[in-house]
Amino acid sequence: MRLSTTARMALAAIVLALVSGLVPVAFLWRATHDDAIEELRRDTVEQSDALAAVEHRAGVAALRVAIEQARTSDDGSLIAAIVDARGVRQAGAGPDRFSVPLAEPGFRIDRLAASGPWAEREAGFVSRRIGTGWLISGRELDDWETAQRTIERALLLSMLVSLALGVGGGLALTRYVTRRIDGVATTADAVAAGDLARRVVVAERHGDAFDRLGARVNAMLDRIERLMGELRIVTDSVAHDLRSPIARLRARAEAALAADDPTQRDAALAGLVTETDIVTRMLAVLLEISRSEVATRSGFADAAPAELLTALAELYEPLAEEDGAALTLAIDADVPAMPLHRELLSQALANLVDNALRHGGEGAPIVLRLAASGDEVRFQVEDRGPGIPADQQAEARRRFGRLDPARSKPGAGLGLALVEAVARLHGGRLDLANNAPGLIAAIVLPVRGA
Amino acid sequence: MMGSLGEAPASRGGAAGVETPLTPAASTSAAGNAIPRPMTRKILVVEDDAAAAAYLAKGLGEAGYAVEVAHDARDGLFLASEGTFDAMVVDRMLPGFDGLAMIGAARAAGIAAPALVLSALGTVDDRVGGLKAGADDYLTKPFSFAELVARIESLLRRADSRSAGPQAARLAVGDLEIDLLARTVTRAGRPIVLGAREFSLLEYLARNAGQVVTRTMMLEKIWNYHFDPGSNVVDVHIARLRRKIDEGFASPLLHTVRGAGYKLAVVG
Repeated sequence: MRLSTTARMALAAIVLALVSGLVPVAFLWRATHDDAIEELRRDTVEQSDALAAVEHRAGVAALRVAIEQARTSDDGSLIAAIVDARGVRQAGAGPDRFSVPLAEPGFRIDRLAASGPWAEREAGFVSRRIGTGWLISGRELDDWETAQRTIERALLLSMLVSLALGVGGGLALTRYVTRRIDGVATTADAVAAGDLARRVVVAERHGDAFDRLGARVNAMLDRIERLMGELRIVTDSVAHDLRSPIARLRARAEAALAADDPTQRDAALAGLVTETDIVTRMLAVLLEISRSEVATRSGFADAAPAELLTALAELYEPLAEEDGAALTLAIDADVPAMPLHRELLSQALANLVDNALRHGGEGAPIVLRLAASGDEVRFQVEDRGPGIPADQQAEARRRFGRLDPARSKPGAGLGLALVEAVARLHGGRLDLANNAPGLIAAIVLPVRGA
Repeated sequence: MMGSLGEAPASRGGAAGVETPLTPAASTSAAGNAIPRPMTRKILVVEDDAAAAAYLAKGLGEAGYAVEVAHDARDGLFLASEGTFDAMVVDRMLPGFDGLAMIGAARAAGIAAPALVLSALGTVDDRVGGLKAGADDYLTKPFSFAELVARIESLLRRADSRSAGPQAARLAVGDLEIDLLARTVTRAGRPIVLGAREFSLLEYLARNAGQVVTRTMMLEKIWNYHFDPGSNVVDVHIARLRRKIDEGFASPLLHTVRGAGYKLAVVG
């Protein structure tokens, strides 16, 4: 049979409580155990046998004499009495009335009387039937034997207590753990059943391990919910935003079909290819965004930020020059190599430079800047264009979000969404600021460790 | 060994310094005259989608290659192990096992023919991962046929120059001479001053002289970027290079091939 985990936990708790209770008890018992009581038992049984033999051989009168003789040579702790069937003393030494139950031979330790001096101490004794009455013989326990008795009783009690505590504690622990875990489990069930908004109830402060587990589960659920939401938005916007390029594709294809003149047809077909490339590129960027949002850091390698930015400036410098814009590179900080996804970060920065070239205005200067502040590195692209008003920044970051309602300038509107996704992949963020006039777009990444 | 033409067979061949006009179809024979080789190159296409396979076979056939098609990785491996192919075009996602695994198995079997992987997985990580996993080149679907042919030609050219022995110290295209060791360029004896990146660009074009080189190929090889910047950055670099090597000379060497890319060649 396999026990459930909680049952095993309870069992383990019980065993642990027992062991922890019994180990000191066992040591104590071993340390204090002594043969004193065993000796008392032997003496008492021998004495009783001897007295019984006297009575058997010579009758009750001889027994009385023998008891008296024994008493005179004793220290006063001796008990030797003849009692009637109700325990009342007829002769010998001992309490006037014995309160112990009268039974056939067998060594016992007990208090002999209910009250009086004989009730103060326990005595070891043997009782046996003599004629119509009983012979009770034995001795009161001395100090050492009394202490021994107390210890033994304490040991037994502590065993019982630790057993009770173990069982009780085990059950309580099991119930508690089960209850706390059920809190997480029922939440998971609810989420699995479709209630994505459900969260584990977590103590705000002084959280224990279960609260931390709950908080982690909640963080995971938050992310799942956000990703699900984004997925829905993406699906919607892809369906929506791919319509226009596909409509243009269709128009070009129809124009090619209808064209009589070969040059016209060729022109229409070439346009068809261009439109296809645009759609392909949109899909590629979209895929890159989606991938980077769930990506592990597998594509990361140590790279020097300055080199990355320099290579990019070198790639774009002729293009800027052709547009009449001056692209300048400003390395303001000496940043050591750090783990970067070179390709994605370059692509994101290329997007920003592209944006700056497109919106920066004719002939306006563009600055590619590497700066460091505190424990952050800033990859910055500055232009002198119209900038992005604060109330439109959220829209600009959105996938397919475009500020130009007519969508007259080319571009899929995926640029900033990709930049933001790449920044997030690096554990950083995209900062948009006013260059007065113009836009400062910065990919801000944390510098990890040292 | 510096500069001696006799020790640089690949440079002479690779430079297409012959007086005959070059067309793309004839260019395969111009790849080198040091080693004899069959005129028609054999390409193995491994693609499970029947329509795509037929399209590839037809297009590559028209481009002058002998094509054989396998529809899954096992057949592909079987055919490749014959060792008669000059290059392989392999779809990444094949039934049974993965195209990259097939290439790995072929390599283990001693097949050195360069492999170009076709894939619908087009993110930067997919491309870089594919190249790391043993593909010699990686092309994302959908692709333009000109791009595919240009890349296959470049792969074949590279494999040839590798088998032709030591690397050339000089490249020559017409009256343009490139000294790879001194990193200097002259045209008709006149020195031309190039920046480091321009020199790399010209060297790459010269190594593929007579063949089309696409923009993405240049981005990948010269700048090591595997994403599409979406603007004409490469064209501007080419325009600068063209001003330096062609301006003031009677016949241009750097040609634009419409819808495909650029070509460094002597035409006329």
